[in-house]
Amino acid sequence: MISSSSDVAVSLDGLGKKFRLTHDRNWTLKATMLAGHRTRYEEFWALRDLSLEVEHGQTFGIIGGNGSGKSTLLKVLAGILRPDEGAATVDGRLSALLELGAGFHPELTGRENVYLNGAILGFTAREIRRRFDDIVGFAELDRFIDEPVRNYSSGMYVRLGFSVAIHVEPEVLLVDEVLAVGDLTFQKRCLDRFAQLKAEGRTIIVVSHDLDMVGWLCDRTAWIQQGALQAVGPSSKVIDRFAIGADPTATTVDAGDEGRPAFERLSPDDLVKSVALIDPNGHPTDAVGSGRKISIRVRYDGQAAGEPVTVALGLYRADGTHVASINSGATTRGIARSDRAPDGEAAGELVEVDYVVSALPVQPGTYELSVALHDASMRRVLERHTHILRFEVSPTGIDPQNGLVALGGTWEAR
Amino acid sequence: MLNRLAGSLQIDLLVNLTLRDLRSKYKRSALGWTWSVLNPLVAVVVYSAVFSVFLRIQPTTGDPSGLRSYAVFLLVTLLPWQFHVTSLTEATRSITANGPLITKIWFPRWVLPTSAVLARFLTLLVEMAVLLLLIAVLEGHFAFTWIPVVLMLMALQLLFTVGLALMVSAANVYFRDVQHFLGVALAPWMFLTPILYPLNMVPADREFLGIGYRTLYQLNPMVSWAEAYRNALYDLRFPSAERWLAIVVATVVVLTVGFRIFRRLEPRMAEEV
Repeated sequence: MISSSSDVAVSLDGLGKKFRLTHDRNWTLKATMLAGHRTRYEEFWALRDLSLEVEHGQTFGIIGGNGSGKSTLLKVLAGILRPDEGAATVDGRLSALLELGAGFHPELTGRENVYLNGAILGFTAREIRRRFDDIVGFAELDRFIDEPVRNYSSGMYVRLGFSVAIHVEPEVLLVDEVLAVGDLTFQKRCLDRFAQLKAEGRTIIVVSHDLDMVGWLCDRTAWIQQGALQAVGPSSKVIDRFAIGADPTATTVDAGDEGRPAFERLSPDDLVKSVALIDPNGHPTDAVGSGRKISIRVRYDGQAAGEPVTVALGLYRADGTHVASINSGATTRGIARSDRAPDGEAAGELVEVDYVVSALPVQPGTYELSVALHDASMRRVLERHTHILRFEVSPTGIDPQNGLVALGGTWEAR
Repeated sequence: MLNRLAGSLQIDLLVNLTLRDLRSKYKRSALGWTWSVLNPLVAVVVYSAVFSVFLRIQPTTGDPSGLRSYAVFLLVTLLPWQFHVTSLTEATRSITANGPLITKIWFPRWVLPTSAVLARFLTLLVEMAVLLLLIAVLEGHFAFTWIPVVLMLMALQLLFTVGLALMVSAANVYFRDVQHFLGVALAPWMFLTPILYPLNMVPADREFLGIGYRTLYQLNPMVSWAEAYRNALYDLRFPSAERWLAIVVATVVVLTVGFRIFRRLEPRMAEEV
């Protein structure tokens, strides 16, 4: 469908873009004359030394914190900003969804604006006429298309803008966080449309803060921070790294006792003495296969707690998504008490409990565990350790899978 | 081949942006397009009263038409002049006013000032047609055979104005003074162009730094257009070769320089706008 001589759709070669932070911009001719062309300004590199390639047909995510240069990069790709260093080349017809309905004129009708916006995006009138019904249908604005757009709700406005841009049939589509708008139904239809464009072999570059969406939609992802490339690779890996890197607690990452990275070190005064993953053979581990058996072992000082406790575990994905919480409810309530031997001598102040998962039902990725001890009635928190343990869930099986949970199903030919 | 030419000239985009300007101009006004006729009408009444009745400026007698009418004498130059003023005023702001568009979508920026001029040009076409009919009916003055000459002059004026529009619109992105300066400059420019009075009222026997007043005066390219329009529509004769030469040279120079300046200033427009 998309034919091209080269495989590379978008290529950045040592790209740099600087802005001038002017302290007192000479907005008038007189001021410039008097200052003798010496406007005082600071240079600020929004992007520096950025090199990467996106292949045709790939869906590529760009993630990074606010002010990291993501949007500047899209504007350079879209040709709105000119690079100061290096080069950005795009192979094929390009459409940029930087702001929906940016070219709309409020006094004109929806119909007139469709033609206007289409022309701005590089369409001929005939091309728009051919797609007009599709555009209006997708935006669900059939009844309002001859109304001036100033009477549109913001949702209608955005839907029409999206619909025009998406029907341009670009070979390379740039999308900047535009899915944050519109209601859920519309968002879903947008995603469906992206999936369709993807299936048609078009190249899509998405800038988003929505890591789930990037992970779901994009084959590869680049993480940009302060205008520099931090990581590029398969989406799930880069997103995991970004989620960890962006986590302020991660700055204190150090090796745990068993060489395992632990965010939070336990102090000797803590009730919780250790938290570990135990493989089916009874050995501590820091990785587990998706769908495999694993135990989470918590040891705590039952004596010091002085009362029966409830153990609670929280499982989070590295990007912070809450996967599951479990608490021992009734199970451990009696443990501390029973460990107190009838003779009064506390032979085992240390209580050890295992939470045994027979088949870990999560997708591959990096996960974090938090542990809390509550009183038996769960009204008080005795101690809480967030991010006490980080571990990898590795892929198992041969068929690719994605998402949050591992369904654990099997394919059977019939 | 033809398609590619249409593509590089951005015909579709120009048409759409021009239509946008025309359609949105009189939206939500009761009189609508009547305003664009009222405007020159009021001007011609006021100018005729002041310059013809109070100041007693005599229009030249049309040669060979023999016509002596201040209103016609005035209108045939006033309409092109008003096109000149309004196009430049609107084109100057065309890029700064479309800031949101410039920073969000890439498209050739020159179409913005050009479409602003084109929108006004379509208005001028209508006004000129109305003018020709009016002077035929009211004055019994038939200038229809000179339409091809007038169209030629108008086409050249369009290109000339586009050249100027490119300069001022690009410069205005960097210095907002341009739009104010233009407001100040256009009034004296009008009085230094033979619109309200005939060219022969400019003294030919006085000199400034050794150059005759009238020679200096004619450095203003708009003088050539005013005289040429008047030749075709008032005198009913073909403008002289010198006029044509001045007009063509002014058009080529201004359009070339305009495009050069625009190209230079274009890359950083999205940052400065």
